[in-house]
Amino acid sequence: MEVDIQSLETFNQLASEGAQQATAMLAQMTGIQAEVEVTKITLMDRADVGEELAGQAFVGIGFDLEGALVGDTTLVFEEACTGPIVEALPGGAAGEEMVESSVKEIGNIMMSGFIDGWADFLRTTIEHSPPRYVEATGADVFPAANDPNEQVFVFKSHIQWPGEDLSFYIYMLPAYDRLTELMADSGTGDDAVPVDKLSVFNEMTKQGTATAADNVTQMTGIETDAEVTQISFAPIEDVPKQVDNKSYVGTAVEFSGTPSGYLMILFDETSAMNVAEALMPMEPDGEGFTDMHESAIEEMGNIMTSGFIDGWANVLETSVDHTPPRVVHDMGRAIIDPLAAQVGQQQEHAFIIESRMQTADLEFGCEIHALPDDAELRQALGDLDVTRKDQTEPDVETIFE
Amino acid sequence: MKVYDSGKGTMGSPEQERVKVGIAEYEVTTSDATLTTSGLGSCLGIALYDAEAGVAGLVHVMLPSAADVEDPNTAKYADTGIETLLLEMERSGAERGRVRAKVAGGSDMLDFSENGSGIGVRNMQQVESTLDDLGVPLVSDDVGGDHGRSLRLDGASGDLTVKSANKGSKTI
Amino acid sequence: MSEVLIADDSEFMRNLLREILEEDHRIVGEVENGVEAVEVYKEQRPDLVMMDIVMPIRDGIEATDEIKNGDPEATVIMCTSVGQEEKMKEAVKAGADGYITKPFQKPSVIEAIEDAVGA
Repeated sequence: MEVDIQSLETFNQLASEGAQQATAMLAQMTGIQAEVEVTKITLMDRADVGEELAGQAFVGIGFDLEGALVGDTTLVFEEACTGPIVEALPGGAAGEEMVESSVKEIGNIMMSGFIDGWADFLRTTIEHSPPRYVEATGADVFPAANDPNEQVFVFKSHIQWPGEDLSFYIYMLPAYDRLTELMADSGTGDDAVPVDKLSVFNEMTKQGTATAADNVTQMTGIETDAEVTQISFAPIEDVPKQVDNKSYVGTAVEFSGTPSGYLMILFDETSAMNVAEALMPMEPDGEGFTDMHESAIEEMGNIMTSGFIDGWANVLETSVDHTPPRVVHDMGRAIIDPLAAQVGQQQEHAFIIESRMQTADLEFGCEIHALPDDAELRQALGDLDVTRKDQTEPDVETIFE
Repeated sequence: MKVYDSGKGTMGSPEQERVKVGIAEYEVTTSDATLTTSGLGSCLGIALYDAEAGVAGLVHVMLPSAADVEDPNTAKYADTGIETLLLEMERSGAERGRVRAKVAGGSDMLDFSENGSGIGVRNMQQVESTLDDLGVPLVSDDVGGDHGRSLRLDGASGDLTVKSANKGSKTI
Repeated sequence: MSEVLIADDSEFMRNLLREILEEDHRIVGEVENGVEAVEVYKEQRPDLVMMDIVMPIRDGIEATDEIKNGDPEATVIMCTSVGQEEKMKEAVKAGADGYITKPFQKPSVIEAIEDAVGA
């Protein structure tokens, strides 16, 4: 199945406009001025959907879709949103028992706003079921997955309500086959991406993340697990919003080959300190984040970068070079924006390959973000022989007898 | 793009209103609101204000020029971003002859370009030439270097506070 | 006691290698790129070069190629984070006598050196 870049852009745009329409509906009903922060399409394991919501309490309003699009959509409100939303309704401040039905009805109207544009674009109708009201923690706000290991496209919008410092989200999970058919049909055939191979690429990247996590474990003794690996598609100006704006320490490289692009390994400050000290053979001289810490992070970034991209090169039977790592210690978005701008000179949208890893024992988190050139990523996918997808390790025996 | 006037404050906040400006976005205030934008690397924040009319605006641009691209998002580029912001401010009562500009950002951190100047530098060159073309004087700037910045524009005074991750903050 | 040249752009990695090697070997130089590696090799003619691949100015495979061209008896062990099959083939072609992937354990470094220089 081939989907061209243009139809990925179109579908991202539909989701983005849908989210804006839904937000406008909310404003009409309640006067709440919320703003759509970012909308992106992500290909990921069904089991990982909503991983970023972990540990928080939410109210979800769920719908089944039928017609041109099949699947489900959930409006996810931070639990603290529901009170102010209900109060803002005309005649607001209704009793407890009214909260559920009010939020359900708001959800219902927002959902119509979200989906109407899709139906118009597809020149057909999309039906949605009556709303389901769910109070749950984290990803339990979504309907249970049929097959957790299946890779799915998720359309996710993050909407912020600055007045109350609250967020809500729209997650649409269409059935993969129907969606990819629709995307394939709406394209022009130029710059086509073989979407099924995108899933394979995701699996290869997952392997690369596992290797990078193993590297951390071997070097530091900190047991580290690969958590999530996904590939997203978004307008270039939304790329920096991938990263939090808190302070990070990490490395960035430019890689070249098929594909080429930029890759960042980012640790939050505490994690960077922990990792660097676990790596150092002796006590650091001086206080805080010293040159020794920096040098340790630089080498860690170097090794993790190789661990991450070597798998691509081995499966694709090519080589992907990278520059020596540059160490950065700055606001997250300031780190990623020069890389997004460099990619943005050639393209208006970008694929973002993203992985995260964590450990249970110690406060440690690490994010990997790669921004490939999209023409070269398409080339790489075209070249990809899916029967080699597990060959991420080099065949050392034959090279060195 | 909306204009924040005194009639449309958010949800009864007693403090001075703060309005976030995202990447490739702009905002205008006529109500002395504080306009903020964060995480500028090679991106530039351009603040324009007309103190007499009480109109201020901030745009967060990513790339130098919209020439040769078909991109509807004018606020993404330095040239069209500044033009759009100025027009919107004029619509809100600003007079071009009184408008002043302050600029911050445009770091050359993580610039991998091997020849020619990096995006941060080219962004700033474009800003200077666009402001010059429009006849808007650039009164102060804090650009370049190898660190990120976050900005806060006080709509009442035109003060632009520039904060860096590791280098403290200053007002220009 | 053999003489070793360490070529790696990471100070951290040079320190780590020095600690492992200085028990049994004499470190004759530590350099940060492939150009310096070739220069110092020509001056010092050490028994062994521990050579990183990804380095600024000139990478370790090119440097190995030049060292081996000038002195076919030279012993060069690649010591790198790169685990790509095509790169390993390039290293073999350039004449590398061993290939250690980072992160490494001390025994594997010692073993690789013993295999390469027969010490």
